[in-house]
Amino acid sequence: MSEDFNLSWLGEFQKKANADRELGIVGEWFSTTFSVSFGSTRVAFKIANGRVEEIMHDPRFDVRAIFGFSAPREVWQKFFAQTPPPLYHDLFAMIMRIKEFVIEGDSLVAMQNARALHRMMLLMREAGIGNV
Amino acid sequence: MSDIEAITGRYLNITVDGRAYRIFYEEAGSGIPLFCLHTAGADSRQFRHMLNDLDLTKKYRVVAFDLPWHGRSTPPNLWWKDRYLLTADHYMAITKRVWEAIGLQRPIVAGCSMGGAIVLRAAFDHQDEIRGIIGLETTAAGHGRYNDFLHHPAVHGGELCATYTYGLNAPASPESGKRENWWYYAQSGPGVYRGDIHFYCNDWDAWNDLSRIDTLKCKVALLSGEYDYSATPQMTEDVHKAIPGSYFKLMKGMGHFPMIENYPNFKPYLMDALAYIGD
Repeated sequence: MSEDFNLSWLGEFQKKANADRELGIVGEWFSTTFSVSFGSTRVAFKIANGRVEEIMHDPRFDVRAIFGFSAPREVWQKFFAQTPPPLYHDLFAMIMRIKEFVIEGDSLVAMQNARALHRMMLLMREAGIGNV
Repeated sequence: MSDIEAITGRYLNITVDGRAYRIFYEEAGSGIPLFCLHTAGADSRQFRHMLNDLDLTKKYRVVAFDLPWHGRSTPPNLWWKDRYLLTADHYMAITKRVWEAIGLQRPIVAGCSMGGAIVLRAAFDHQDEIRGIIGLETTAAGHGRYNDFLHHPAVHGGELCATYTYGLNAPASPESGKRENWWYYAQSGPGVYRGDIHFYCNDWDAWNDLSRIDTLKCKVALLSGEYDYSATPQMTEDVHKAIPGSYFKLMKGMGHFPMIENYPNFKPYLMDALAYIGD
């Protein structure tokens, strides 16, 4: 890890996402790889039919993430707070209002899967509350 | 169990700017007209809790309508030859024509989001004809929500617009309220939310007109949800500061859709705002 982020809870996120009834319904067409950069710590998520198939820490350059989200630690800490402050409480809130929160890559693919992706990021938030 | 609600719905035919429109409206109660304007890409169903609230309807005739292209109001004939882009002029003209055609005398005009924007225009252009306005999530100019994905052949517009707006709710609002609003958004016609956002983000700028509002003639109550990141509390408070005599309250733990996302928490704020406007 290039920064001392505690990301041990990502396993819990994977379990939550893969057991989620709603994702099982709305994620049928959500198959891609996307990345999340927590500061300089980058993680890639391989998604197959709405399920988190693989979580890759510090992925090599041959892991092709189609899109991703990147933000400094301070931003993620607010997103993962027990009670997130306004503007940091939702994926789309940060996309619209937080300059340091950046969507990378092909945003069209992200928006095509907005419903499942948004659900997945909510579950990621739930798993990571207080841990970032 | 069965429970028939007191709401009645009707259709109204009007002509505005030379075009005929078939408009749906619903209402309940009697007394002071309280005329309600829905948010962008949605419809009058967002006001169902107000329409069903006896505390409200025993004193107010609550009326909500669907803008053309929205809900059960059809687009005008030859709509397929138009790109739907709402403008402030047209929005105000339709709104005024509807309250006049229904026969509402000096209504309180209440609106949320883009409805919370156009009520300001009602206050500066028609202040002698209305009792006052209630602006929910009001801005004098809004920016940053318009984007091409809202109407794009490679994106399911209903799902995107509904998900895009879901985050505008407060995290602690009941999931049922947030999801009900999601459903209304998902039912919107293709490009309609984008067309409304054109008004909200590109056409609407009321800063030079706010000084024309005389709150001795027309009361102005503004309510803002803490978690609203589209019309942030600061943006609404800035409008309040520009209108001497206006009323402003921050709604703690509330988002952008108070009347549908969390009506029990919204109701006390609404009642206080109505008390401020008076009879």
